[in-house]
Amino acid sequence: MSVASTGAVLRKIGLGGITGNRTALLISLGLMALLLFVPLALPGYQTLFRTTLVFVALAYAWNMIGGYTGYVSFGNMVFFGLGTYCAALLSARGIDNLVADIALAVVVNAAFAAIIGFPVLRLKGHYFGIATLGTALAVTDIVGNLDVFGGTGGLAVKQVDEAHFAIYYYAAWLVAAGAIAITFFVARSKVGYAFVAIRENEDAAAVLGISATKYKILAWAISAAIAGAAGAVYARGNGFIDPSIAFAEDFNVYPIVMTLLGGTGTVAGPFVGALILSAVNETLGHTFLKLHSLFFGAVIVLVVLLLPRGLVWLIGLRGGVRTWVKSLQGYKA
Amino acid sequence: MSAQPAPGGAGVAAPEVALRITDVGMRFGGLWALSEVSFDVERGSVLGLIGPNGSGKTTLMNVISGVYKPTTGAVTYAGKRIADVPTHDVCHLGIARTFQVVKPFASLSVRENVAVGAMYGRNGGKRSTRASFERAQELLEIVGLARVAERPASDLTIPDRKRLEVAKALALDPDVLLLDEVMAGLNATEVDEALELLRDVNRRGVTLIVVEHLMKAIVSISTTIVVLAEGKKIAQGAPSTVLASPQVIEAYLGSRWVKRQEQLKTIEAQRAEAVQIQPPEATA
Amino acid sequence: MHLLAQDLVNGILAGGILAVVALGFSLVWGIMNIINLAHGAFVMLGAYVTWQLFTSFHLDPFLSLPISFVVLFVLGYLIQRFIINWVARAPVLTTFLLTFGLSLLVVNIALLIWTGDTRGVTTAYSGSNFTIGGITVPWAKLYTLIAALVITGVMYVWLHRSKTGRAIRATSMDIGAAQLAGVRVAQIYSIVFGLGAGLAGVAGTLVSLSYSLNPAMGQPFLIKGFVVCVLGGLGSVEGALVGGLTYGIVESFASQLDFSIGSQHISGAGLQDAVALVVLLVVLIFRPTGIMGRATA
Repeated sequence: MSVASTGAVLRKIGLGGITGNRTALLISLGLMALLLFVPLALPGYQTLFRTTLVFVALAYAWNMIGGYTGYVSFGNMVFFGLGTYCAALLSARGIDNLVADIALAVVVNAAFAAIIGFPVLRLKGHYFGIATLGTALAVTDIVGNLDVFGGTGGLAVKQVDEAHFAIYYYAAWLVAAGAIAITFFVARSKVGYAFVAIRENEDAAAVLGISATKYKILAWAISAAIAGAAGAVYARGNGFIDPSIAFAEDFNVYPIVMTLLGGTGTVAGPFVGALILSAVNETLGHTFLKLHSLFFGAVIVLVVLLLPRGLVWLIGLRGGVRTWVKSLQGYKA
Repeated sequence: MSAQPAPGGAGVAAPEVALRITDVGMRFGGLWALSEVSFDVERGSVLGLIGPNGSGKTTLMNVISGVYKPTTGAVTYAGKRIADVPTHDVCHLGIARTFQVVKPFASLSVRENVAVGAMYGRNGGKRSTRASFERAQELLEIVGLARVAERPASDLTIPDRKRLEVAKALALDPDVLLLDEVMAGLNATEVDEALELLRDVNRRGVTLIVVEHLMKAIVSISTTIVVLAEGKKIAQGAPSTVLASPQVIEAYLGSRWVKRQEQLKTIEAQRAEAVQIQPPEATA
Repeated sequence: MHLLAQDLVNGILAGGILAVVALGFSLVWGIMNIINLAHGAFVMLGAYVTWQLFTSFHLDPFLSLPISFVVLFVLGYLIQRFIINWVARAPVLTTFLLTFGLSLLVVNIALLIWTGDTRGVTTAYSGSNFTIGGITVPWAKLYTLIAALVITGVMYVWLHRSKTGRAIRATSMDIGAAQLAGVRVAQIYSIVFGLGAGLAGVAGTLVSLSYSLNPAMGQPFLIKGFVVCVLGGLGSVEGALVGGLTYGIVESFASQLDFSIGSQHISGAGLQDAVALVVLLVVLIFRPTGIMGRATA
């Protein structure tokens, strides 16, 4: 089967521009609104949902560089980690203000992404991916070795507001909501099309006037800023961070799996994926403690093989199972 | 050289030079794919670039569009050397091209494909997303793809893909459009349609440089023809002149063919003489 | 002076393993354009195969070299044939993510089987050294280097002389021409991927002699393998060897870094990954086309 029949399949789904399926988006927004009530209705589950929201934000961060621009990053946890340390360092200096945390995290990470991005984004596609992994490991090393970051012992992060625990929840919610909003606006603007053009055919994009390096750096900076903000909020809520927490493998892997499952390059995808996988993770967690990463590895393999465009694509698919099965034949050698 | 009066000007104004190719040479390893190629491209003209296979046409196109940096010489446009401009800025100068191997943005619709060009091309900075899509729709009408505007680009037939290439290039608002074998793979009807489209584009003020193998197509559309052979320019001028030129014929058909033709002509002439010497047999 | 020479020797000794790691990685990358993120996991598996054989059957690690090669070769062959091949014509991104998922699977399965406890292979000659000209050379590491050189040499000869080896090189140069010459490309791909895995396994065996084992040990080798390929060039045995040795030496010198900025003490030993990154960035900045031209935008 050739490219033409994959096209025939795509034709049936009503592409919805580069925002993705509209129904999925509306459902996601509805659910986000519902999540506002968690501290009131399910206070016992607050921490769980807060962590989920952090992952939602991280998934959106990855989606920007990996999903829309097509540059798979295995190092986004760096930004998350640096974000946590931003909050920790501010706390160490006596500044306990969530807005300041987020602001600093955003600025530091966007700058870091731009600086590292300059040499690294000159690499194409998957070469970039490994380089980001290398960057992540390197930064983990460095942070672990520097006293100013508390070394391997870590740093305590003071409470922002002793009285209202829910403030961390709403901060996380705001960061997640911000991530969704940014993605939405990017997808509907010219910038979004630049990202997608780079993903589809970087050389053709350059011929049409798109400076690939500039837009790749932009995508990565946005991605970094979101991930950093998520980190800052997480640190405050957690009360303590050290390199093993801040740069945990989970923060690297989960957002990727969530976005892959939900739908790369869409606005609703990361949310859908994050919600589903968090739910599954929670259920599994009590029974199969050791199997988390194994499960996620299997999910990645299955998703890549069977559902490369993610669930949001499937939702909009007209023609049902048969069309989906047909689409699977498209890539076989 | 055609003497088209400048718009709004009385009498014949000197033709304006759009592109200037000066002494361009291109070397790959030990091989000179191009050497000492020089010519000017007049604004508003259609320049046909022809030559036998391997003569360097595509290389020259790549040099003109900035894909290759020439080993010697330069291509200048509006005073700027193209080699000095980064790839993504070439279209901002006013030069656009189509590619032989057409690869559109597969998961975007046809209209979106063209819109990207409208967003980031020469006048892209001033256009909003909506305006870009409107411009894209206009261009789709011009090239005849309006009926498939919503379809994913990966869905198109070959002739339609070529049209899409042209539309994307036009979205860049170019002054000069380079068309690299845009008619390859088209049947006779499609070629005629393509020629009509190109004439239309030229009428709208775009200078065209066309590389084609189809002699009929080139002749019918070009105001000037440049002939390359083995990397050198061997002829330049109006189509009729160039195609009658012995060097061009020799380049295409080979020196043995030329000699044979001359032999045949000599035989023919001798035969004619022989007939004249013999008095007519039949008498009334 | 002694210290420098010692570092140099240490670097060369360590570089041998890196060369073998990089060779497998570079073959798959250069011939199939696949960056196999599970390569580090394969190295880890090779090490554990050796450990298991050593622990259960007291088999000397060097004797388990062919076994770990075969085990990993078969694994790699099957993975390519039945999993990766499924998405052979998909965008490169897809395969990339697939190998990422596979790497997670392999590492976690290893975790289940062998737990996260650190393991080691301690042979009779594990701790012994000899000294030459004031430089200490551990026997185990010397044997490792010799083994690495032998393997690299064998690969070179095989790739250039054997029928399959030449078919592989033909495929990497021009698929169309190779097919016309009768090469079955799909089969070649499976063999190449298996070969890459096998070489990783062999490297893992060598690693087990000098380093401790845990399921996460593969990742640094993945990164270093990548950087060595950037340094030394894709798909060439000489490149992997030169790159590996060079990197080993650089890393050895870097780990001797020991200085303080103000009250902050910096020791190179814990910064191995940072070293990898720095080397990578330096190469990219000063030779931006990479040693292999197709890396950059």
